Amino acid sequence: MNLRESLRISWRSIRSHKLRSTLTTIGVIIGIAAVITFMVLGGGFTESVVGDIEAEQEPVMTVQTQTEPEAGVGIMLVETPIYTERDVEALEAIDDVEFVAPDGSLELAQTDLGDEQVTGVIGAQATTADRFEHSTFVEGEPFEGEDEAVINEQTSQLFDDNVSAGDELSLTFEDGETADVTVSGVVEAELGEQTPPQLFVPVDSYYTTTVETPRGEETRAYPSLVVGTERIDDVDPAQEAVTEYLEDDSDAAELKQDDHEMQAQTVEDTIEQFTDIVDQLTVFIGAVAAIALVVGSIGIANIMIVSVTERTRQIGIMKAVGATKRDVMQLFLVESVILGVIGSIVGVAAGLGAGYLGVWLLEWPMAYPLDWVVIAIVVGIGVGVVSGLYPAWRGARVDPIEALRHE
Amino acid sequence: MTLNGEPTTAAVTAANVRRTYRLAEPVHAVDGISLSLGDGSFTAVMGPSGSGKSTLMNLIGCLDTPTAGRVTVSGEAIGALSDAERARLRGTEIGFVFQTFNLMPRLTAAENVTLPLVFHDAVEASRHERAEQLLERVGLGDRLEHTPSELSGGQRQRVAIARALANDPTLVLADEPTGNLDTETGAEVMDLFAELNRAGTTILLVSHERQVAEYADHIVHLVDGYLEEIEHLGAPRDVAVGHQALTATQPSDEEVQTDP
Ligand SMILES: Nc1ncnc2c1ncn2[C@@H]1O[C@H](COP(=O)(O)OP(=O)(O)OP(=O)(O)O)[C@@H](O)[C@H]1O
Ligand SMILES: [Mg+2]
Repeated sequence: MNLRESLRISWRSIRSHKLRSTLTTIGVIIGIAAVITFMVLGGGFTESVVGDIEAEQEPVMTVQTQTEPEAGVGIMLVETPIYTERDVEALEAIDDVEFVAPDGSLELAQTDLGDEQVTGVIGAQATTADRFEHSTFVEGEPFEGEDEAVINEQTSQLFDDNVSAGDELSLTFEDGETADVTVSGVVEAELGEQTPPQLFVPVDSYYTTTVETPRGEETRAYPSLVVGTERIDDVDPAQEAVTEYLEDDSDAAELKQDDHEMQAQTVEDTIEQFTDIVDQLTVFIGAVAAIALVVGSIGIANIMIVSVTERTRQIGIMKAVGATKRDVMQLFLVESVILGVIGSIVGVAAGLGAGYLGVWLLEWPMAYPLDWVVIAIVVGIGVGVVSGLYPAWRGARVDPIEALRHE
Repeated sequence: MTLNGEPTTAAVTAANVRRTYRLAEPVHAVDGISLSLGDGSFTAVMGPSGSGKSTLMNLIGCLDTPTAGRVTVSGEAIGALSDAERARLRGTEIGFVFQTFNLMPRLTAAENVTLPLVFHDAVEASRHERAEQLLERVGLGDRLEHTPSELSGGQRQRVAIARALANDPTLVLADEPTGNLDTETGAEVMDLFAELNRAGTTILLVSHERQVAEYADHIVHLVDGYLEEIEHLGAPRDVAVGHQALTATQPSDEEVQTDP
C-alpha cells in the first residue's frame, strides 16, 4: 500500500474520533508549546537587552553585590551599602581607572513638573558628574551645581511635555524631604528599551547613608559604584585590579554578608550573565517539556492500543482482503505520526501565539525561534513513531481468523 | 485427471490436509481431507456444527496453514508461501464472503467494494469505476455512497459479494453467506452466486441448509473433520468448466483423486 493511501485512511480514522484525538495530542501540544513560548520570550528578552547594549560599548564597569536566590535560577542584586568612601578613593587610585562614580539609591516618592506629577517609577541615584564621562547626552550636560539633576530619556518621556534641559523638577523623597532641581541634561538610555526611568542628583547634596567601617569610623557607603576607564582597552586590566582590591583590601569585603559576592561587571559580563540565565532556564524548561512529551507519547501509545483493540475485527477484514502485516503496521504508524505531528504543529502555533502575547505585553521584540520550530516538528514525528511502534506491531500481529470470529 | 477425457485445471487442490489445534488434547479440526475443485465449479460444504467446515475454508482461503498435507490455490502451494505472499494471494486470487458480512463500518459501499484494491496500489480513479460496475452487477448501482449501517442485511451481503469480486478472483469462498438472512433474501443472494458461477467464477460455499447447498453442483459432507461423502447433483451444466474430481477415501497419500 502506498503512503498516500495510508495517509488518507489514517486521517479518516483520526477524524472519526475528533474528541479523542484532540485529547490525546494535548500532552504533546503542551510540551511543544512550552518550549516554543519560552524560546520566543527568551529570544525577545535577549534581543531587547543584549541587542541594545551591544550597540554601544562604553569603557565602564559596574561594581555591585550579588547573591543567588534561595529558590529558582538566576542572580539577585543586593542593595546593601557596603562600598565606602575609602573604597571609592582607593579604586580611583588604580592606574587604569579614570573615575569612580558612586551610585547611591534614593527613595523618590514623587516628581512634579509644573502641574504634572509622577509617583514612584523613577529611580533616583546620587552620583558624581564623573559618571557621565562616557554617556551620550541627548541635550544639555552633566550637573554642576548642587540643585541640578540629570535625567535619562525614559524619565523625560514620562511627562506629557517631555522634560528638557532647563526645566524645573520638584522632588519629594520617601522620608518627606523635598528639593527643587533644574534639569541640566538628558542622557541616552543605557540599556535601550529595558532601561528604567532614572534621575541623577549630586551625591554631596542628597546622599546621607552611612555605615560603620571595621575601623570604627562612620562613613558614607554605596550599594554600587560605576568605574570608568579612558579607553575600551583599559577595561580588562582595570577590571582585574578592581577585583583584586575589592577582594583583598576593601571595606566592602568586610562589610558584605558571607553569601554575597562582589562583582566588577563590564557590559560584556552583563550580556554573558543574561545569556547564562537564559541558558539555565532553557535547560529547566527543556526538562519540563521533555516530561510533557513523555506523558504525551504514553497518551498516544495508550489511545493507539485501544484503537488497535477496537479495530481488531477491521484488521481481520483488511487482512482477509489482502492486507499484509506491513500494510497494517503502516496504517497505525501513520496514524500515530499524524497525531504527533498535529500535536507539534498546534503546539508550535500555540507557543508562538503565547510567546507573541508575552513579548507584546512586555514590549520586547518578537523572536521567531525557527530552529526550535524545526526541532519541534521532528520531535513530533519522533513521538508519533515511538508511541506508535508497539501498538502497530500488535495490530500487525492480529490473527485474521480470530479477529473475524471476534464480535 | 480428466472428466470426459478433457483436461481441466484445478482451481484448488487439497491433499491429505490436516489442521490440528494443540489444546490439552490435540483437536483435529480438519483431519486428512483430500479434494480438488475444478476451475469454474460450484461446490457446497455441509456438515454438523464443529465438523471443520470453517477451518477448511480458512485453509483454502490462505488465512490458515495446514498442520500437515498440502493445499494449492491457483497452482501455488500455500504452505511454502511467506505471510506476505499469502496476503497477496488472498488479495488477488480469492474473494471472501462471510456470514456476518464483515464490511468496514465507516466506509461507503463503494469504498468497501474497492478495499482489496487499496492494498494493491490500484489507481484511485479507476477504483471508483470498478466499484460502480460491481455494485451495478449485484443490483446496488444506486447505493454507492451508503454506509453498511444504512443498508439492509441482504444489501450488505451483496456489497460483500461485490467486494469479493473486486480483484477478479479465481475463487470465491462463502462461509454461510445466507446464515444471517431470511429465506427470501437468502434465495436472492444464492441466485447471485449461481449467476457468478455461470459467468465462470469458482465457488466454494458452506451452508447448513440443504436448500442452499443445492444451488451447487456438488455437496461435500464433513463429519468430525473427515470427508464423509461427495454428492453430485445432476449433470454438470458445462463440461468445459465442470467440477473435476473428488474423493473421500481416507487416508490417502495421493494428491488429487479422480472421480470413481
Ligand atoms: N482456534 C481454535 N482453537 C481450538 N479449537 C478450534 C479453534 N478453531 C476451531 N476449533 C475447533 O475445530 C473444530 C472445527 O471448527 P469449525 O469452526 O471449523 O467448525 P464448523 O464446521 O465451521 O462449525 P459451525 O457450523 O458451527 O460453524 C471445532 O471442534 C472447534 O472447536
Ligand atoms: Mg463455521
